[in-house]
Amino acid sequence: MRVTVERNALLKALGHVQSVVERRTTVPILSNVLMQAGEEGLKLTATDLDMEVVEEVAANVLEGGAGTAPAHLLHDIVRKLPDGSQLSIEQPDEGRVAVISGRSRFMLPALPPEDFPDLAAGEPSHEFAIPVDDLAFFIERTKFAISTEETRYYLNGIYFHTLEREDGSVAMRAVATDGHRLARAELPAPEGAAGMPGIIVPRKAVLELLRLLDAAEEDVQVALTQSKIRFAIDGVVLTTKLIDGNFPDYERVIPIDNDKRLEVDTRLFAQAVDRVSTVSSEKGRAVKLSIESERLVLSVNNPEAGSAEEELSCHYEGEPLEIGFNARYLLEIAAQIESATTVFLFSDAASPTIMRDSDDDRTIYVLMPMRV
Amino acid sequence: MAIRRLPETLINRIAAGEVVERPASVVKELVENALDAGAGEVETIFRDGGRSLIEVRDDGCGMTREDLALAVERHATSKLDDDSLVRIITLGFRGEALASIAAVARLAIISRRQEADTAWEIRVEAGRKEEPRPAARAPGTTVSVRDLFFATPARLKFLRSARAETMEAARVLRRLALAHPDVAFRFVTEARAVFSLAPGTEEARIAAILGRAFLDNAFAFAAEREGYSVRGWGSLPTFSRGQPDQQYLFVNGRPVTDRQLSGLVRAAYSDVLEKGRHPSVVLHIACAPELVDVNVHPAKREVRFRQPALVRSLIINALREAIAREGQRTAMPVRGMVPAGDDNKLPHQEKPAAGAAFADRLSQEAARLSLAAQAPLMDLPPQGRHSAGLAESKTAFAGVADVSAPDLSPAGLDAGADAGAAETGAEAAENHPLGAALAQVHGTYIIAQTQDGIVIVDQHAAHERIVLERLKRERAAGGISRQGLLIPEVVELDADSADAVLAHAEMLADLGLVVEPFGPGAVLVREVPAALGHCDVAGLVRDVAADLIAHDLPQALQERLEHVLATFACHHSVRAGRFLTREEMDALLREMERTPRSGQCNHGRPTWVKLTLADLERLFKRA
Repeated sequence: MRVTVERNALLKALGHVQSVVERRTTVPILSNVLMQAGEEGLKLTATDLDMEVVEEVAANVLEGGAGTAPAHLLHDIVRKLPDGSQLSIEQPDEGRVAVISGRSRFMLPALPPEDFPDLAAGEPSHEFAIPVDDLAFFIERTKFAISTEETRYYLNGIYFHTLEREDGSVAMRAVATDGHRLARAELPAPEGAAGMPGIIVPRKAVLELLRLLDAAEEDVQVALTQSKIRFAIDGVVLTTKLIDGNFPDYERVIPIDNDKRLEVDTRLFAQAVDRVSTVSSEKGRAVKLSIESERLVLSVNNPEAGSAEEELSCHYEGEPLEIGFNARYLLEIAAQIESATTVFLFSDAASPTIMRDSDDDRTIYVLMPMRV
Repeated sequence: MAIRRLPETLINRIAAGEVVERPASVVKELVENALDAGAGEVETIFRDGGRSLIEVRDDGCGMTREDLALAVERHATSKLDDDSLVRIITLGFRGEALASIAAVARLAIISRRQEADTAWEIRVEAGRKEEPRPAARAPGTTVSVRDLFFATPARLKFLRSARAETMEAARVLRRLALAHPDVAFRFVTEARAVFSLAPGTEEARIAAILGRAFLDNAFAFAAEREGYSVRGWGSLPTFSRGQPDQQYLFVNGRPVTDRQLSGLVRAAYSDVLEKGRHPSVVLHIACAPELVDVNVHPAKREVRFRQPALVRSLIINALREAIAREGQRTAMPVRGMVPAGDDNKLPHQEKPAAGAAFADRLSQEAARLSLAAQAPLMDLPPQGRHSAGLAESKTAFAGVADVSAPDLSPAGLDAGADAGAAETGAEAAENHPLGAALAQVHGTYIIAQTQDGIVIVDQHAAHERIVLERLKRERAAGGISRQGLLIPEVVELDADSADAVLAHAEMLADLGLVVEPFGPGAVLVREVPAALGHCDVAGLVRDVAADLIAHDLPQALQERLEHVLATFACHHSVRAGRFLTREEMDALLREMERTPRSGQCNHGRPTWVKLTLADLERLFKRA
């Protein structure tokens, strides 16, 4: 293998693939990036065995072939080369890869490319194209609620599925929950997605996908097989295994007859929660909401660090209510709400509460209260 | 095969299997008889690990000829005055021991009543009784058991080595001796006298059996409620062991083993003890005989209380209260460590090896002196935790140190105060137990001067404990907040575990865990302690269930809640390396004096150690 490639193009591609590579791994080949020189240029592949990212870089291929090199090392080297420089990658012998640019010359240890694992995804059952903004919307609105607790592994990702609406159109939903709160986002389903099975996309892949979407312009091509999903984003292909488990029947935990409705200014509410929770020292301390018709009082009572109280004007219909929530959960949901007004729907102090954007019925958030 | 009645000899052998398990159980039965007979002196002789001879001699009330003939019969006893098992005040009551032993060994008893002029002897061999005949003996009783298990060869095969059986017998005797400090105990084998304990105070007996160090690093505790009283001694949290092998439980003077005891003790010491360490305790429970059932186990190793939950909480609360009161003390083998660490830097110091013989003599000398007035902090001989290589020099130094230990009594304090005043001018802060801060060294330790010496404080460890105690107060005042689960979690357990968890649902709810029944062998978790965040609910419930079955306390849950506080405290306390001003150091010392359990950090390590003037003088050979 012998190729010359432009530094900036290679750096961008390496930036994408190297974030898949775990810093510490017990399988040496997994810390390497696979480089394959072919007619179309240089193809870079990195994997952690659950997820794979492949990206092509325009390159001048003098001699075809394949090699591997430590991903983080290669990325650091390329990053430190001067902007706009050309570099050449070659393989003097089987055990080494040479990176040469101007007067710099690096020799890196290489592992045989045949050992590089292949995350081959079989024949897809469903293929569709989804706009970048839609996919980003799904992920951004739900990712905060993904569970990181590993015993309930089926909650460690975002659940995507489609359903038929009452008007006959097909919608796609993204749902995430950690058992304490739940986030659900809904958009019209892309053509070709109807009837796809419900899938759970793991957290790491979701976060990686979001990074790739940042700079993307064209629609994302999605292909789904029984155990994997593949996203093609502007020349970068991300393939990930799906979480093999059953997502809980989340519809049951979204209350439908919560009749106590509170409307409050989103920003003022978030700022007030943030302020009063300053005096809670212990992790997970509750903020109490005392709600009357035109008055919402937020309070925290911490016997040692003092107490805090803040009053907000609001609009509320229903019996006066006192209810406690984890301050962090309130803030995380409030951060998702873009319109000026947040709507709360309560049942009682021990039951799930709904929070939603007053102008946007595409999202719904459910939060379990805290009790002292 | 037709059903037939078993012959008497076989019945006795079967019964013997329950009571006489090994030589140590023979010792237990015979010595208990001696104690019930009011003996002031009990001697046990062991030959060949108890196989060829076990002999117990006492100076108790003795037996008449008629008694002697009846005593070896099954279900014959003098210890139940009416025909009820409700009020048992003697150690024995079943009337089985002698008959059982006689069924499996060659038994000979020589006994003489105090007022009688002759002794009588009776022999029984494998269940066959001979007529009593006159013999010579001072008042009291001698029971000799020869060729134990000769009649049951199967049991003989399962005996362990002579050494192991002797050690087991010694353990049994020590337990009995702890409960009866007023009785002299001797234990002799063909090779040597294993121990010889003179009658004396309870403290002296404890010192003889658990070691002087235990008593000096222990606190006494006592509590009473609804007819039950507990009292005893517990070691300071910083004076712990790797095994729970020094935990003695006595119920109305009867040594008892209790599976729950070590769990209870650990619960009482939770958050002041290093992980994997166990305190030493001597625990006496006293109650009216009808409140406890001792007829549970053939060898009476276990007992049952009428109100077990009450007894458990009484024990835990008594220990906790004492730890909170005494937990500012620390135990550290300072004396052992100083010379060991400084050998090379102190060229004038006597070489430990050369000094050993001298030190031995001195420590014997010291043992004769009354050491009761010693300051608790300093007189701790090295514990097993330190490498054996250091043991010699430590022993040497400990011996030297002990000689002048009585100087640490109030008279010694005055001398120390004078010296302190002369050197620095009396400072108000010196009147405090932890003294006035002088300096910080290596950004980590605070050196303070007290009336009678210097105190070295580990600033991080000390502050960590102070922060933890503040957080605990906060939590106690605010209650434990619970996070509801959007999707309640079903936890599959076995039926016993589920029942245990549900039976304690109220107690668990107070700790933030709300559970409901969910069919047989499963529970539904509705709410979890908010402080635990996203925890492994199923794992937590299973651990809690195991704890509840073992000792009725949700130890796992409490430990996890405490761990959250401890981690927070660790991250929010003054670190090593942080420069402190004199005012800050003094403030820390005063706060330590106010804070309960401040003698050890959250991980059970000591927060401070003390060197008295006497210690310093010894180091410099001024003493």
